[in-house]
Amino acid sequence: MADSATKPRVLVVEDEDNIAIALDYLLTREGYSHDRVANGADAMPRIRSDRPDVVLLDVMLPEVSGYEICQDIRLDPDLRGVKILMMTARGSAMERRKGLALGADGFIAKPFELKELREELRRLVPDIAEGDDA
Amino acid sequence: MLEKLGLRLRIFLFFAFLALTGMAAIGLGLWAGYTRLESSGPGSAFVMAGAIAGFALLGLTAWVWYLFDENVARAIGRIAGGMRAEAHAGGALLDEGAARYLGDLAPAAAAVTGSLTETRNALAEAVQRETVRLADEKARLETLLSDVPVGVLLCSADHQLAFYNGQAVDLLGAGAAPGLDRKVFAYLRDGPIRQAHDRLVAIGDPDAASDLLCATVAGARILAGRMRLVAGGGYVLTLRDVTGDLAAHAARERLLAEVFDRIRRPAANLQTAVGVIAEGGDAPEVSAALVAEATRLVRAINDLATRYDAERAGWWPLPMVRAADLADSLRARAEAAGLTLTTEAADLILRCDGFEIVALLGSLGEAIAERSGVRRFDLTLAQDGAGAVIDLVWQGEPVGIGQLEGWLARPVDPSAPGVTGRAVLDTHATECWPERRGAGQAAIRLPLRDARRAARRPAPITRSVVYDFDLLSKGRSAAVLDAPLADLTYVVFDTETTGLLPSQGDEIVQLAAVRIVNGRRVEREVLDLLVNPGRPIPPRATEVHGITGAMVADAPPIAEVGRRFHDFAEGAVLIAHNAPFDMEFLRRHEAEIGARFDHPILDTVLLSAVVFGQGETHSLDALTHRLGITIPEEARHTAIGDTLATADAFLKLVPMLQAQGIRTFGDVLAEVKKHGRLLRDLNA
Repeated sequence: MADSATKPRVLVVEDEDNIAIALDYLLTREGYSHDRVANGADAMPRIRSDRPDVVLLDVMLPEVSGYEICQDIRLDPDLRGVKILMMTARGSAMERRKGLALGADGFIAKPFELKELREELRRLVPDIAEGDDA
Repeated sequence: MLEKLGLRLRIFLFFAFLALTGMAAIGLGLWAGYTRLESSGPGSAFVMAGAIAGFALLGLTAWVWYLFDENVARAIGRIAGGMRAEAHAGGALLDEGAARYLGDLAPAAAAVTGSLTETRNALAEAVQRETVRLADEKARLETLLSDVPVGVLLCSADHQLAFYNGQAVDLLGAGAAPGLDRKVFAYLRDGPIRQAHDRLVAIGDPDAASDLLCATVAGARILAGRMRLVAGGGYVLTLRDVTGDLAAHAARERLLAEVFDRIRRPAANLQTAVGVIAEGGDAPEVSAALVAEATRLVRAINDLATRYDAERAGWWPLPMVRAADLADSLRARAEAAGLTLTTEAADLILRCDGFEIVALLGSLGEAIAERSGVRRFDLTLAQDGAGAVIDLVWQGEPVGIGQLEGWLARPVDPSAPGVTGRAVLDTHATECWPERRGAGQAAIRLPLRDARRAARRPAPITRSVVYDFDLLSKGRSAAVLDAPLADLTYVVFDTETTGLLPSQGDEIVQLAAVRIVNGRRVEREVLDLLVNPGRPIPPRATEVHGITGAMVADAPPIAEVGRRFHDFAEGAVLIAHNAPFDMEFLRRHEAEIGARFDHPILDTVLLSAVVFGQGETHSLDALTHRLGITIPEEARHTAIGDTLATADAFLKLVPMLQAQGIRTFGDVLAEVKKHGRLLRDLNA
């Protein structure tokens, strides 16, 4: 597992507690430093202050949608290095295109297998050591 | 001077002149006799007096006859002839000079005929005006009926076709094309139609309509129909193809059933495993089962969601719209809103609701203009994989996705308050989003899932209507033999072949047929097909009909063409010129065709013999020449050219047969048997 000072930082923007618990478990086990915000309105201030390496972003959020947050991140030059992995329960091909067009770096449809999420995170943040997917 | 005197005065003077002249002749005779009395004696003097008076009276009588014949009898005859000609033919000129001694008779007759001519001309003009008006109305109604987007059939009470439009041809035309005076059951399965008809007849309400669902005979199409009875018998049947709708519905049902089937089991297993864990069961097998069932559930949901996503666009019936037409409509909407829109559309056909897409993009453009004052937009419509992508581009900043979602929540058009932008996107199973472009440009991108290249605009489909409303009230003879000739339906046909000897392997290379219904040739019911004979075509045969092996290489075999011809001729009397020749070629293939050609048959060679006598030549050229029918040189010895000539000849022979008292099909058969030595009668 990577050292905490160099651990990639993940911000989970997810309003559903149950999946947030599961993500907390996975990200901890995978060696990511992570935090969570539970609604869209709080997301941008946290992203601007924390500058995470990856934003794990749910599309359907209260108040502000994941698409809006994605677009705001991409319009902010200071957040250029932030990777965005979008998650949605409505994973149609058109929504995937829309997410990627708005600047997302990856898009996974719920429900997903942990293996799939793990691989997407490693693709976006290759710093995590290989072979640590027990 | 005499013409100026009245007719009665002239007749009086004439008879007075006759009396005086007669008396003068007698006086002359007496005077001559008296002068000879002394020299010849009294006997001779009396004879001389009588002879002179007699000859003078004879001459006078002859002169009177001549005058009466020339100026009365002939003049009356000419006047009468002129009046008769005017009465029956019209336009005859009355020779008034011929009757100049008949007083006012000629001017009076001229006045009568002149008045008749004027009345007749006025009547003819009125009829002509009305005819033109009715013809215009008829043309308008035909256009209207040919353009209605549903198939329309008008059938008699015994289900014979009396009218059909172009859409009906498309709907029913998977097999044989429809034909007038044929049973509708040749195209549609009879059960639902009979039931709907019986239902309406039983109700007896002229305004009642009955909805039905029926299939084409071949089962290729499912049609939704509505039947309504028409005054005087018969019914109108409107038809719409719902095959695609039903298939989409069935696909949706199948997917829904699969969703329950594949999700219920892992969900139930998960619930059981979770229950075990909740009660303290922590065996590794329980955890493994939990993981396995969850994985199974996830995969099932993702697989089903992917399929739903791929298929749902096809479930909503959307028309095909030309990209250029869509761009045109958008330009018009933008101009109406005071915006400038330049468009660039690939030559594509898009599957979309044109009105909704135009309304959506128009409303978005207007919202952008209102927000940022942009007045000028570019629209590009390009191919994108199996679909297309529409970009609405302007100079300026992109809109926020949140703002775009807000606009999408509004109605796209004031005339359709229930249709929001989001609803339009859902209908088309798509999304739209803002994009930043280079050079300070922004865009909204809207992909469409389904589009295809349109190499060229297809030729407009001839949307004609075919009808004969007399068929609705036509009496029908159960037996062909007793049927008047004018009541029968005929199929006139001709074949071109590889040679003259079917028994030695010659085959048909072309077959053409036309239908005659209710005494007229139905222009649009024509069969004209090349046939692959399955053997080479000898050059001498090609010299006659111009058909080469290359022309028939891709043509269907006689089994298929024969089947189509048999369908085309169902219920009709077959007519050919020298029918035994053509029938022998066809009957040899009855097994392959799967149908028997047991139709009643007429032969125009025999009919020609009946009408013109056996001594004449009865070739098609000779017959058509005698009947004043011209076969264009390029059409001669083509199956369709000879078929049309034979049909026209038959139509001219029918009234000639009727004039000889030959009125029914049975009469014709009895008559042609007398010409058995000329040709074999195939009905024997």
